Amino acid sequence: MKKVLLLGLSVCLIIAFSTINGYAADVSKGLSIGAAGPFTGPAAAPGMEIFNSIKIAVDEKNAAGGIKGVKVKLVMGDDAGDAAQGVNVAEKFCADKTMYGVIGPPMSNVAEATLRMYAQCNLTCITTAASRPDLTEKGYHHFFRVNARDDAHGPAVGHFIAEDLKAKSVYVLNTKDTYSQGYADQVVATLKKLGVKKIWRDTIVASAKDYSSVLTRVKAKNPDVLVVGAKTAPDHAVMVRQMRELGIKAIYFGSEGAKDKKDFIQASEGAAEGAYLNHFAPDIYKIPEAAHYVKVYESKYGSLSGFGPPAYDATNILLNAMEKAAADGDITRKEVMKYMAQTKNYRGILGFPITFDKKGDLLGGATYIFKVVGGDFKLVKVAKGM
Amino acid sequence: MGKIRDWFSYLSHFVYAEKLESMDQILQQIPQQLINGVTVGGVYALIAIGYTMVYGILFMLNFAHGEVYMIGGFTGWWVLHLLTNSSGGLLLNGFIVIILMILFAMALTGALGMGIERFAYRPLRNAPRMNLLLSALGVTIVLRNLVLNLQGAKIRFFHTSALIPKSIQVFHIGGTVISFMRLLVIGVSIGLMAILTWFVKETKMGKAMRATAQDTEAATFMGIDVNRIILLTFLIGSALGGAAGALVGLLFTQVDYYVGYVAGLKGFTAAVLGGIGSIPGAMVGGFILGIVESLATTLISSTYKDVVSFIILILVLLIRPWGILGEKAPEKV
Repeated sequence: MKKVLLLGLSVCLIIAFSTINGYAADVSKGLSIGAAGPFTGPAAAPGMEIFNSIKIAVDEKNAAGGIKGVKVKLVMGDDAGDAAQGVNVAEKFCADKTMYGVIGPPMSNVAEATLRMYAQCNLTCITTAASRPDLTEKGYHHFFRVNARDDAHGPAVGHFIAEDLKAKSVYVLNTKDTYSQGYADQVVATLKKLGVKKIWRDTIVASAKDYSSVLTRVKAKNPDVLVVGAKTAPDHAVMVRQMRELGIKAIYFGSEGAKDKKDFIQASEGAAEGAYLNHFAPDIYKIPEAAHYVKVYESKYGSLSGFGPPAYDATNILLNAMEKAAADGDITRKEVMKYMAQTKNYRGILGFPITFDKKGDLLGGATYIFKVVGGDFKLVKVAKGM
Repeated sequence: MGKIRDWFSYLSHFVYAEKLESMDQILQQIPQQLINGVTVGGVYALIAIGYTMVYGILFMLNFAHGEVYMIGGFTGWWVLHLLTNSSGGLLLNGFIVIILMILFAMALTGALGMGIERFAYRPLRNAPRMNLLLSALGVTIVLRNLVLNLQGAKIRFFHTSALIPKSIQVFHIGGTVISFMRLLVIGVSIGLMAILTWFVKETKMGKAMRATAQDTEAATFMGIDVNRIILLTFLIGSALGGAAGALVGLLFTQVDYYVGYVAGLKGFTAAVLGGIGSIPGAMVGGFILGIVESLATTLISSTYKDVVSFIILILVLLIRPWGILGEKAPEKV
């Protein structure tokens, strides 16, 4: 009796697992990819730039005949930047039997919360902005990124502030979220290592719209540089505006969320002039391979801030992997994951070749440092291999 | 003095690991923090008045009030946007634009407040209080999502630098900085509160309002049209909340569909702190909350800013549950 029960149970388990992991399906049953990210909420602007760029890549693929004659469907999964909603999106995507890969989530907190879920259903994820280091340190094989990690950005920013800006005293503020906390930790650690003696820290509340009381405190310290780790450009705009209003002379250095011309430079009405910021993508306008993409994007959706190009490349890399996996007319999620990991020296529009290391991280990612000059972003330094 | 200093350094040790601030550095920040605190305090007070007036008459917490504030902010933005041409110039004198922004925000939110009372609360007036509370939460959700659907989750920016001449945008007094917008917010909020105080104390309508708050039934017997008074209460409370929304837009230059949540919470805290049901209490509570928050940033840490204000609230509720200026009223039978 016991043996029969055990046998029955294992048969059930095998069936259950094969339905979860298998999804081995004929390509003609449909192919879709998911776009997970904040398409509403405070980070909707960069989120939509990512989504639109994914859409351009998918449309181009479909216009060229799709994969084995099957048009690829793009499914939007809005998480509003909220981890709980991200989990719902992951559930939906995992359950979608025609889905073979996900672009995103671009925010570290959401990526962290959904990591295991996507791993359990073998769904390849390729993020275009989530930079928290430990996302790729947990031994999963489904998670890839085309952007550099915080532990590349943070040290690069620290070196830039200590060596290029020659700062003697630095005040570091960050919002209390996964990304900004990690960023600020890394910057502070690097500054300490480089011998900057006067370092102060404080945390702030995201989208509070009023930072004047913490800035009053910054003013009393009179630092050379104020580093602000915050995810959204409007927060950076408020910060830089109120800082100048209070008469703080320090150089402003913002994390990559600040790279948004409308929501940072224009919203601050001149206060952002002279500010620095780091970003994981180079100035897309200077790369010849990107000219076509830029033209298509701008004619449809307006100006680019920098979150779009990596998403366009990520989508093409994913589509390439799906194409290889589907070459025999049959496709599984595990195959897609396997071909994804084999990506080598992919030359897209980012100006550097993309290869993934064993953990899914970008090999040799770089940090790009921009300065706001004349109401626009100007590339001032490329920091590689930190 | 020495003792206070020891206490400060003990506190700083406790809260942050970085080097502690010298007494001079702290003292130097205090005037600036007072200005920061009074400005947001004025805004909190305006919002708190709306909570307290409604509570005084209906004994209900109008949780939709935060959303009324948010809509006031959007109305202000919309007026500014309509009066700005495509190249960023203004169609009217900047000061007139500011006045129009505030007036339109007050008019629209005042009407909105009366609408909420008429359609969401009046039908439930004789129902248990819980139903009213649920209705208020429903209105909150409707208003927030209405704005979300109409204009999306985009943050709207107030381009305020063209509104006032460069020469009077910022004033320096010693090491302390005060901007024109802060003076405006302080001035308008105190002005509105003064008018309200006069209205409630001196006019016949104000007297009727106080009578209704004291005893609705007796007021009816005295020939007061209670429905009209309640509508008037919502008109005034909501218009003040709307004015607060427009003022914050001018001051902090951003509004989005979610600002009503935190603002409502702060206004409610201020109302309870001052003694819910008492108008002077709401004013005092607002300013105290604003100042405590700002000073807490300097004395403790910005990380614990909100914690400190809620600890104060809990302390007040423990020691004086009826609030700072509230009355220890016997339960109505």
